[in-house]
Amino acid sequence: MNGRAVRVLSAAALALLTAAALLPFAAMVSVSLQSMNQVYSPALSLIPRPVHYENYATALTNGSWPRYLANSLYVAVASTAISLFINAMTGYAFARIRFRFRRALFILVLAGMMIPPQVTLVPLFVLMKHFPLAGGNDILGVGGTGLVDTYMGLILPYAAGSFGVFMCRQFYTLFPRELDEAARIDGCSRFGTFVRIYLPLSRPALAALAVLKFTGAWNEYTWPLVMTNTGADRITTVQLALTRFQNEGEIFWNQLMAATLVSLCVVFAVFLAMQKHFVAGLLAGSVKE
Amino acid sequence: MSRPGRRGKAARSDTAAAYLMILPFFLFFAVFVLYPIFQNVLTSFTNYNLADKTYIGLANYARLFRDRAFLRSVGNTLAYAVFSVIPLMALGFAAALCVNRSSRLVTGVRAALMLPYAASMVSVSMIWLYLYDPASGFFNKMRAAVGLPASEWLFDPRLALPCLIAMNVWKNLGYVMILYLAALQGVPASLYDAARVDGAGFVRRTLHITLPAIRPVSFFLMATLLIECFKTFDPVRIMTGGGPINATTTIAHQIYLRAFSEFKMGYASAMSVVLFIIVFAVAIVNLATGGQLRDTEER
Repeated sequence: MNGRAVRVLSAAALALLTAAALLPFAAMVSVSLQSMNQVYSPALSLIPRPVHYENYATALTNGSWPRYLANSLYVAVASTAISLFINAMTGYAFARIRFRFRRALFILVLAGMMIPPQVTLVPLFVLMKHFPLAGGNDILGVGGTGLVDTYMGLILPYAAGSFGVFMCRQFYTLFPRELDEAARIDGCSRFGTFVRIYLPLSRPALAALAVLKFTGAWNEYTWPLVMTNTGADRITTVQLALTRFQNEGEIFWNQLMAATLVSLCVVFAVFLAMQKHFVAGLLAGSVKE
Repeated sequence: MSRPGRRGKAARSDTAAAYLMILPFFLFFAVFVLYPIFQNVLTSFTNYNLADKTYIGLANYARLFRDRAFLRSVGNTLAYAVFSVIPLMALGFAAALCVNRSSRLVTGVRAALMLPYAASMVSVSMIWLYLYDPASGFFNKMRAAVGLPASEWLFDPRLALPCLIAMNVWKNLGYVMILYLAALQGVPASLYDAARVDGAGFVRRTLHITLPAIRPVSFFLMATLLIECFKTFDPVRIMTGGGPINATTTIAHQIYLRAFSEFKMGYASAMSVVLFIIVFAVAIVNLATGGQLRDTEER
């Protein structure tokens, strides 16, 4: 094959891939603006005529969507904020301080990244339900509902995620050791060195980590499904709210697609604004040569 | 690197500082990861159902081998994983080759291909649930437009799993592309120049230079994607409920059903242990061949 043929083929392949990537989203937008009669009409068309904007109002007043959006936002922001500092501090210790069992403990962190959430799903639920002194439980964890149906129950497990520790450690090993030497000579403690020198220089890594953690928490389905089983609006997240459109016999595709688009807006806005950091985070998790 | 003169008191205070700094993370890790895993293994030897908890030995594990739905879910999970990973890696590599140059247009294409990956599995499942809908879905409208009869898609026992696989490939293609793209950009240009001088064409350059050079990423992707597929739950629960007649049920879905609709926590825990073993086997192979462990060596 000569260069020209390769170029033409690659351009065609790109056009095809892009169309395939965007077509489902285009169908979503289109259906979100159609009446149910239009949805069921056999004609193949992505342009709704006439346009039914009111689907959005109908969909978002089906339940309390402002509350769902606020719930998801709160859980995603809080879980990101809690774990970021802890991850960075742990990553610093692993990258810069020699201590006993460092390697063994770090392998434990790596192993943590591999564990399927379903493996801890059942015991984690039981743990939350019997969390001592929460939700009416006594000190032995009986009598109430524990952390089930609470924000804390949704947020806390994220703080145990290992990926951020791994990523911060990889990032900090690239820093020159002279930083620590200089700080030590100036009488700075290890913690002081981390807070005053490393943390301010961590913006790229922490931004990447924050984007991944935020989108991960925003997109999460299984844990909220198990954890907020009363289905009360007070605690429902956006992803769970979407599945509510399936519960009533016939699915109103136009409303479902409208709500889906709304749920995607937040995460797409974050992705498009922070694309560089998002990609950097994905790459940081993979192999380095 | 050895540092004489930094032993003794300084080293001891260093160790104390390190333990204090890793303490908060390991507290969370112990409570929300290690303890549940330990508890999960214990529970798998009991008949725990949120009320009663009696030790029943290996009975749960023995039952797994006679449980048709579970055996089906293992087969489905493996098929889902293998037939997702092969096209994902092939198409992702092809896409990376196509976007491996810099222009405004290509930057836009990359972003477009990443959108499905950034979207939640729930929203993606909802969109494809519509696309696959036999009565009003977009795919049947496309078939009708070219004169083909309507298909049952997710309601057809033979098509349902391939339908979920197609959606999975669509969703994760951007991720594979972006990792391969970074790998391609890391291959030294000098290798290609030498090959060009030797008169090697695009195909031979790809086969003999590019593919061997990016092998570590291929291994990493294969392991990561396999593990990701082994955990599949969201689309099954949302789109098919495991049906029709268990055609799409996965291990993770069986765990959820047994634990949270039948409250057979002990039995579900035994399934979790099986899933854990499968995932860990792949993870160990990945760690042994990949670069993640390599640079934990003392430096």
